[in-house]
Amino acid sequence: MALGADRYATRGDTLAFLSGLALSLVAMSLPPTARDSVASGLRRSVLWPLLQLQEQSEALRTSHARFIEVSAERDSAVLAAAQVQQLRSENAQLRDLLGLRARLGVGFIPAEVLHQASVTNRLTLLISAGSRQGVRPLAAVVTPDGLLGFVSRAESVTSVVATWAYPDFRASGMAADGSVYGILSPSTASGPGGWLLQLDGVPYRQRVPMGGVILTSGLGGVLPRGIPIGSVVGEITGENDWERTYLVRPAVPPGSATHVMVLTQPAQEGDLRAAFAPDSAAGRPRP
Amino acid sequence: MKRDTLRFWGVLALLVVLQFTIRSRLGDERVAPDFLLLALLIYTIRSRPGASAAAGFVVGLVSDALSPASFGAGALAHTVVGYLSSYAKAVFFAENLLVNGGLIFAGTWLRNLIVAVASGKFAGPQLKWELLVWSPLEALTTAAAGVLVLTLFRRWLAIRLEES
Repeated sequence: MALGADRYATRGDTLAFLSGLALSLVAMSLPPTARDSVASGLRRSVLWPLLQLQEQSEALRTSHARFIEVSAERDSAVLAAAQVQQLRSENAQLRDLLGLRARLGVGFIPAEVLHQASVTNRLTLLISAGSRQGVRPLAAVVTPDGLLGFVSRAESVTSVVATWAYPDFRASGMAADGSVYGILSPSTASGPGGWLLQLDGVPYRQRVPMGGVILTSGLGGVLPRGIPIGSVVGEITGENDWERTYLVRPAVPPGSATHVMVLTQPAQEGDLRAAFAPDSAAGRPRP
Repeated sequence: MKRDTLRFWGVLALLVVLQFTIRSRLGDERVAPDFLLLALLIYTIRSRPGASAAAGFVVGLVSDALSPASFGAGALAHTVVGYLSSYAKAVFFAENLLVNGGLIFAGTWLRNLIVAVASGKFAGPQLKWELLVWSPLEALTTAAAGVLVLTLFRRWLAIRLEES
């Protein structure tokens, strides 16, 4: 403490400060289950009205964006009709409106992402759907572009999602043609464009081309097979000469995700490649 | 006096509402102003260091509950920032708008530094990018929002600002 500190801070002030520090350290050293319980309790009590407010605000924003989108689509349809391409226009419009939803069927729950101001916001996200809507722990969380993460905790009306950037995130990945398998984890190498993943454990004799898409393999029984995770942007040359490690740029930046889908179908069922096919939602403006 | 107090808390409540309504519309979440931290820093301008530390702990705990990857780190960071802000305010004894803006900038950056380090979730280039790029940008927007709020509500906040 600086000389003359007592002029500005009394003993009581110092005591309050030290108590705050001590309680913070206690909170940091709590076991994960106790931390989750405290955080969950706060979200369900003191923070509940504020989270409701944020959810309503996000819904309002979405409604406005959808209105603009629908208006634009209507104008396009009128123009196409004027050019006697009615059938073609309707077909395109319906495909666009159905998009990913039609391909995925009914096995998902839509939710809004409630972004927070913390620097660790990209590691864990809060979403506006919980166990009341059918969200279960470990369910895959996706956007039309691919995998965002998985549900780490489901509460009644909100859930916590551990994104692919979370240090403990691991997923079994494969090349789009199924020829190469490996384990994906967050990479410590990153740049201005965001964080990267790394694909480890690829046998040395196997190669993945630059730009090659990496999908979930479905191995392990947690994440369904066929969800895009990202694309290969480089290779890390290390000391191990019996395996390769690739850098993968994730398909979904956690900071920009505003709306997500929580998959409800069991991971063992089917291959979701078709749902994320390039024509499913490409080029469609999203809210 | 009672009316002033109500107005003061009204401004802080407004900042809390802004945090949960319009913040997500103000661009990238990494650089959008943190109105919750701003409310804390404005509170510390008028409060004693002890009360500011306690308020910082509460705000930090709330922040941790909303972003559980760093539970406890937010409480630690906000406690330190709350105390230091109030203490620095008493030491500098400045009512200058630029000094207040600088205090908000430094407080935001320091908060992010402590959270990033104490959470242990950042390493290498990620930490550098966070502290040298994103945090200064967030601190800048938060300071700009703070200057705006202090200018608009200076009478309600009972803060005497000198011409800078």
